[in-house]
Amino acid sequence: MTSTLEHVAHTEAPQGGGLARRQNIFTGFLGGVVFGWASWAIAHHVLDQSSRNFSDMVVLFLTFGWTVGFWLGIGALNGPGRWLIGRDHTRADDLYYAGENQGVKRYWKFCTDHKVVGVQYIVMTAVLLGAGGILAMAIRTELIVPGNHFVDQQVYNGFIAVHGMLMILALIVAVAGPWGNFVVPIMCGARDMAFPRLNALSLWTLVAAAGLLLTVLGVGSLTMGWVVLAPIADQAGIGMDFFAMAIIVFTVSTTVAGVNTICTVMTMRTKGMTLARLPIMVWSAIIAAALGLYAFPYFSLVEAQTLMDRVFNTSFFIASGGGTGWLQANLFWLMGHPEVYVILIPAVGALFEIASVMARKPVFSYRTAIAGMAGLAGLSMLVWAHHMFTTGWAPNLGGPFMLTTELISLPTGLFFLVIVGTLWRGNIWMKLPTVWLFGFIFNFIIAGVTGIYLSDIPIDNQLHGTMFVTAHFHYVFVGSVLFGAIAALCFWYPKVTGRYLDETMGRISFWLVFIGVQVTFGAMFISGMRGMPRRYSSYALLFEHTNFITTIGAYMIMAGMLVLLAAVVRCWSHGEASGPNPWQANSLEWLVPTPPPLENFDVLPVITEDPYNYGKELVRS
Amino acid sequence: MSIDTHAEHDAHGGHDGGHHEPPEVVDGRQRMAIWLFIGGDIITTAALLFTYLYLRGVNTGGHWMSMLGYPGPQMAGGHTYAWYQNAASLADPTNVMVGKLAAGLNWTVTLLTVLSALIIWGAEKALRSSKNAKNYSMTCWVAVLVTVVAIVLSFKQLQSIPQIYVAVNDSQTMSYTTYDSSMMVIIGSAVVHLFLLAFLGVGLAIRSARGVINGDKWYQARLVRLFWVWVGVSAIVVSATTTFINVVH
Ligand SMILES: [Cu+2]
Repeated sequence: MTSTLEHVAHTEAPQGGGLARRQNIFTGFLGGVVFGWASWAIAHHVLDQSSRNFSDMVVLFLTFGWTVGFWLGIGALNGPGRWLIGRDHTRADDLYYAGENQGVKRYWKFCTDHKVVGVQYIVMTAVLLGAGGILAMAIRTELIVPGNHFVDQQVYNGFIAVHGMLMILALIVAVAGPWGNFVVPIMCGARDMAFPRLNALSLWTLVAAAGLLLTVLGVGSLTMGWVVLAPIADQAGIGMDFFAMAIIVFTVSTTVAGVNTICTVMTMRTKGMTLARLPIMVWSAIIAAALGLYAFPYFSLVEAQTLMDRVFNTSFFIASGGGTGWLQANLFWLMGHPEVYVILIPAVGALFEIASVMARKPVFSYRTAIAGMAGLAGLSMLVWAHHMFTTGWAPNLGGPFMLTTELISLPTGLFFLVIVGTLWRGNIWMKLPTVWLFGFIFNFIIAGVTGIYLSDIPIDNQLHGTMFVTAHFHYVFVGSVLFGAIAALCFWYPKVTGRYLDETMGRISFWLVFIGVQVTFGAMFISGMRGMPRRYSSYALLFEHTNFITTIGAYMIMAGMLVLLAAVVRCWSHGEASGPNPWQANSLEWLVPTPPPLENFDVLPVITEDPYNYGKELVRS
Repeated sequence: MSIDTHAEHDAHGGHDGGHHEPPEVVDGRQRMAIWLFIGGDIITTAALLFTYLYLRGVNTGGHWMSMLGYPGPQMAGGHTYAWYQNAASLADPTNVMVGKLAAGLNWTVTLLTVLSALIIWGAEKALRSSKNAKNYSMTCWVAVLVTVVAIVLSFKQLQSIPQIYVAVNDSQTMSYTTYDSSMMVIIGSAVVHLFLLAFLGVGLAIRSARGVINGDKWYQARLVRLFWVWVGVSAIVVSATTTFINVVH
């Protein structure tokens, strides 16, 4: 059945809020800059300027000041402060923080409403993708012909490192941020996240971290790629200090967000919403959140150790003091491979959801889908050393790690089974989300198959460090995750705005990006197989043609993404009205009004069956 | 999804459902969050021990507890950075050995951490049975005091970590061996935790003095205690590891 849960609007002026009434993104940046500057000044005053590490120490002070100042300015520390002195928020304060009756102003504030946070995450994802995308274009422009023409090797190196990390951050939040916040709580039948203030904290902490990461470009470059390999990282300029602090701050954001997501799903479900009736998207959100809780502590620790080597003269990664770069590589990849699935799983969950709604069929083998995602998460903890096959670390473990890595194709195979099984003989509604879903299926096959080659040690010995690897993981991140994220955007956009994303613009964007991906990374596979190394700003004439083709393809991707951006901006106010349930779906987020009111439900619904029971209702455009 | 919109309201539902939930429900949710944070912290602790044991295991160049250089100020016959920097001609560097950090100081901090956890635990038990919030508040201040002492002693530990003066090409610095580096990050992590505990302890003390926490509303006391006890447990695990596994034979 498809009823709409009506809502009675409140219209009084906002009350409560206290200090938060005067706090917004502007005071956040002001606080960050003032505290950062003050810390910088204090550092110059109290530290030994003759020390070799003086500039690194100063950056440590500055970045710490920036983060704390930003938190203070935006209002993230109001809650803990009031807890400390025993003056907890009143109901009026909570409603103020939730943005009640504040119109669009609430989008610029430390707002606790999960739907506002979701929209803020959409914007943050766009900002990160945009910044990373501009760097990608700069990289490809430099590589359009052999030789150095536009930037020198050092600047190029910085572009590579920051492009990589920006895109990783962007994709970690691309689905889990917007939709894990906007729709997952409603899907569970909850009025908000379990901890609304932690939710806002995770968003604004990401903003603080992004600020630090972007600063890297302004203070000299990084020379060792986004994995910031030691011991080169120990010798790099102060950009490395900003980078490491950005990661440490970022892991605070992901930890808080992960705890919040799991608690929301486990404790906030409405009556009758058993675990077996949860929309599959919700499962993907908690599995990814749990995997993130496992993975990101390694990340903050390895970056903290890099910082300590640089600032406090420790020897973690320095051989003369007993250290080893292998420690860095181990800790980094203990995080690094699970992190790929923290990125992938929510995208896949969203696509399961889309496949079901658009084919008017239940998710094929719901339990298999959950088992696939959970199995992938579990296996991902046991594969990290495939990134170190050629480093000489533990050669005896090569076989076992090769085996575990190849086992990865089992749960990912289940994903195909579930998606194809769901679409099979369905009455497929070929709208924008479905179009991107089909793009995903095509690209994810290429991503997966090339991954199997790389997991094979004899082949990896030939292909490691080449553009083949770069092409492989771009098929994963661009071809698969980004396609999933865009499908999710097209799918839930009407819920956020009440309007469809323009079908024509969306399809133009799709074909540009889809063909662009094949051109860009197809040619890049060939460059790689012919031996072109990664991370160089110039190359031999042998690679001339494939690189030219790759760059043209990259421009196509950028053009497609700009069309998508234009569609998103334009349709927000001018799109075709969609009503509350444009896809005739059965999960709860479609049964509340659009946009959903504060606290989502007037009366909490009681669930009597799973959301995939389409019966004989068939819908055609 | 089939839903029954005409079903009778949840006992605690209605318009303010999300906010007027019974305290046990909110507490259950917060306890789950604490356990999840502890779960993440367990990974951090494991990664710290991995760092320690791994570096000891590889013992690159036999330098787990030694380094080519000159003894720093914390060592017999050692000098300060400035002294070496201004010395006209230094003898050739030798392999400077460092010893284990003082196990006594290490265990003092550990036991103080455990003691503070026991105080918080005992105070919570007393609060729940005797319902005396004033006593609880006073006891929390004692736990905070113990924590602060542990923090001060931790900084003493950090100061006592021996430095070695190394000069490679034009780069001169005071450096640390991997054993000392690992101990530094372990102690540093403990200090961060102790600061967090001090913050939480002060919060409990003030809140109970103001009556926000009392004999009937003691849930937050338990939440903080769970985390506090975990920090105590991790301190014992880490100290035991570094006390019994250190020198490479
Ligand atoms: Cu991997």
